[in-house]
Amino acid sequence: MIQPSVSKSSTNTSFLNNSANRAVILQVVVLAAVLFGLWFLFANASDNLNRLGMSFGFDFLQVTAGFDISWSLIPYDPGMTYWRVFLVGIINTLVLSFCVIFVGTIIGTVVGILRLSNNPLVSQMARWYVEVVRNVPLLIQIIFWFTVVFSTLPAPRKSFHIGQWLFLNNRGLYVISTESTMSWGAIFAILGALVISLYALFYWSKPYLRLTGSRPTGFYIGLALLAITSCWCVWFFADSMTLSIPTLKGFNYVDGAFLPASFGAAFVAMTVYRSAAIAETVRAGMQSIDRGQHEAAFTIGFSRFQSLRLILIPQAVRSIIPPMTNSWLAATKDSSLAVAIGFPELVSVFMQTSMNQTGRAIEIIFMVMGFYIFISLLISYLLNKYNESIQDKVR
Amino acid sequence: MDDSNLSNKPALKQFKPTPARAPLNTNKGIIATIKHRCFNNIANSLLTICVAVVLYYFIRHVLDWAVFNAVFTADNRRQCLAISPDGACWAGVLSWFNGLIYGRFPIDEQWRVNVGVLLALVWLLPLFSKRIAMRNFILLTLIALYPFIAGYLFLGGQFGAQLGLFHGAMTCLALAFLAMIYANWLLSALGHKGLNELFVPLFSRLFKHRIQLLSCLAVWLPLALVFAVAISFISLEPVDIDRWGGVFLTLIIAGFAISMAIPVGIVLALGRRSQMPVVHWISLSVIELVRSVPLITVLFMAVTLLPIFLPADMEFNKLTQVLVAVCIFAGAYMAENIRGGLQAIPQGQFEAAATLGLGYMHTMMLVILPQALKMMIPNIMTSFISLLKDTTLVSIIGLFDIMLMARNIANDKDWIGLHTEPLVMISVLFFILCYSMSQYSLNLEKRLKVDH
Repeated sequence: MIQPSVSKSSTNTSFLNNSANRAVILQVVVLAAVLFGLWFLFANASDNLNRLGMSFGFDFLQVTAGFDISWSLIPYDPGMTYWRVFLVGIINTLVLSFCVIFVGTIIGTVVGILRLSNNPLVSQMARWYVEVVRNVPLLIQIIFWFTVVFSTLPAPRKSFHIGQWLFLNNRGLYVISTESTMSWGAIFAILGALVISLYALFYWSKPYLRLTGSRPTGFYIGLALLAITSCWCVWFFADSMTLSIPTLKGFNYVDGAFLPASFGAAFVAMTVYRSAAIAETVRAGMQSIDRGQHEAAFTIGFSRFQSLRLILIPQAVRSIIPPMTNSWLAATKDSSLAVAIGFPELVSVFMQTSMNQTGRAIEIIFMVMGFYIFISLLISYLLNKYNESIQDKVR
Repeated sequence: MDDSNLSNKPALKQFKPTPARAPLNTNKGIIATIKHRCFNNIANSLLTICVAVVLYYFIRHVLDWAVFNAVFTADNRRQCLAISPDGACWAGVLSWFNGLIYGRFPIDEQWRVNVGVLLALVWLLPLFSKRIAMRNFILLTLIALYPFIAGYLFLGGQFGAQLGLFHGAMTCLALAFLAMIYANWLLSALGHKGLNELFVPLFSRLFKHRIQLLSCLAVWLPLALVFAVAISFISLEPVDIDRWGGVFLTLIIAGFAISMAIPVGIVLALGRRSQMPVVHWISLSVIELVRSVPLITVLFMAVTLLPIFLPADMEFNKLTQVLVAVCIFAGAYMAENIRGGLQAIPQGQFEAAATLGLGYMHTMMLVILPQALKMMIPNIMTSFISLLKDTTLVSIIGLFDIMLMARNIANDKDWIGLHTEPLVMISVLFFILCYSMSQYSLNLEKRLKVDH
């Protein structure tokens, strides 16, 4: 056979027409432009800082902050440092986003399933809930809940209350709480041990249940033992605890646990908003399942709830997880909007108050953005891992 | 054996299905449907009744508040409350209506805002005509040239004096271009080939079309000169940029973000898909960093860091800083949408383009991007909707957009404490805008359904 010969000489590639050369040149140019841009920015920054007599450095974190924060989970007083303010901001942001994600996911899943209901009244109501909530900016909703609902609650003297346990007024929510002489670590460890042993008990009896249809006798003995232990634990805890009852002193309540109205408004608005987004995700995921699966579950006599729990949801989870992850990340980022109603989260306490006081804009913005980037990368990494595991198992 | 038995038997009678019985009367009609879907069992019936009762009370309450007990004409909030204590006080919103729309733009000059918005619509109008060619080009020039006209109209001042000679020249060119678009349209409507032929060389590198390019410029530049002479007689009252506000400002920010998102997004997405490591990593880090921080921190960054990182003698106003921030933010999100579209393009398209001898730019501009963008229209629209909603965040850093104007009503001494009505009002406005956009995107999605 005669090999067709390709003459190399016919292609007249000059130096600039060679794609490899072009790539190198382009990259050098881009890199040079970016480096020049960065140099330009930082040269300006150092000029400007010099001119204004400011310096760059993280030493301000050791300086006393001197302002109060209306709500924090860790002990805080104005005599503490800016580093502590940063921590308070982070914890408040995380608490708010966690609550929003937790409740929002539950409500969103329910609404998403309701949207697929056979009952037209129910599905249309779920639909319009989603449409209205999704198409109104979150900021408007947060401010609406704050100014229209939570700020118009009665003054502390006339607060709504359930016995002496719970008081709701325009300052926020005051709940009865406990103060313990035991360390919280020990209490959580004991509770954790109880929960784990309960889970182990169920896990141990599961094969027997599968085989025979009833649980082994040892299961009931173990359950009784656990019940007795937990009763004893409760009695033991109660002994070490004193109740802290909210009481009206002057214009406000003291003692008890406190949640500010701004938390309530931000929490409700963000949960509602997030639930609408999650409802759409869940609906799309459920609709991605083949119709045959519904029918098969129906044929073998599953009730609607059983087919949802055992057949449909486990399959839908696979396609729901990636958009759900994005939704949770968005919830974490959206928690920064609580700054608009003065909830002391990271942006509010650190990027506004601390920045105004110290003027260390570069450092503070660097820290805050670093925190959000860290959280985003962390959540997406963890959920990617989880996603991989679940995808393997199902397929 | 069975076969032989069968074959010996006489031929089976032809199977004739008995016609299906007509459905029972009880299974037809609206009443039956309602019965089957709402009252088929006890639990569902209870659910239906509960939902119906809740809906009834909710709707009645809302209607009572918003319509039947509402006050539409009053001088102040006290009067409102005296007329109807538990109805909405729309009078306050109505008396501030002008402010909600135009912000603090001087009342005598508000016609300029209207003209500006109208011009944008006029610019877009030819897009709906199927006759006119190069519709992408019209869209492109809307982004590139229209802002000069808008800037001149909204800022005012002696022509070419306050805003600079370059700005003035660009304004004239933009106006001339608009005139040319319409001339084009008119000619094509009359059956001529139209001036659109003249625009082709702007994109093509073929030198034989140079004559056409020159002839195009020969129409455009004198036209611009005519406009320059015409405009130089007009002097508009200068309006401070701080006086922009309300829906007007919201539309400016959203419009800017939407129009910049696609070009920035395309560049970033192509960079991320690039084989070149430097370009790839720079685009990747910009996209990922911007996407993982909240918009509000980007806005704070723009407001506080831009003055530090740029030369001291540069002048800033908050709006420019915000526009820069929003542009980067929108671009990063759009880049991910476009990347999704690029990934969905089958490899064969790239190969086919390479076979035809198209270079990188031509492959992307003529083959890949049109398909990728079309495929991503629903996602792009979703991004636009969230951009529009996100513009409300600029109120946190103190720009008087519609959100801050609405909140300001409650600080007016006549309408003190009037929080609910303005918020409801702008919620309804945003709902209408965003909902219609999402419905439009659903419609587009159905129309442009691309199958591979």
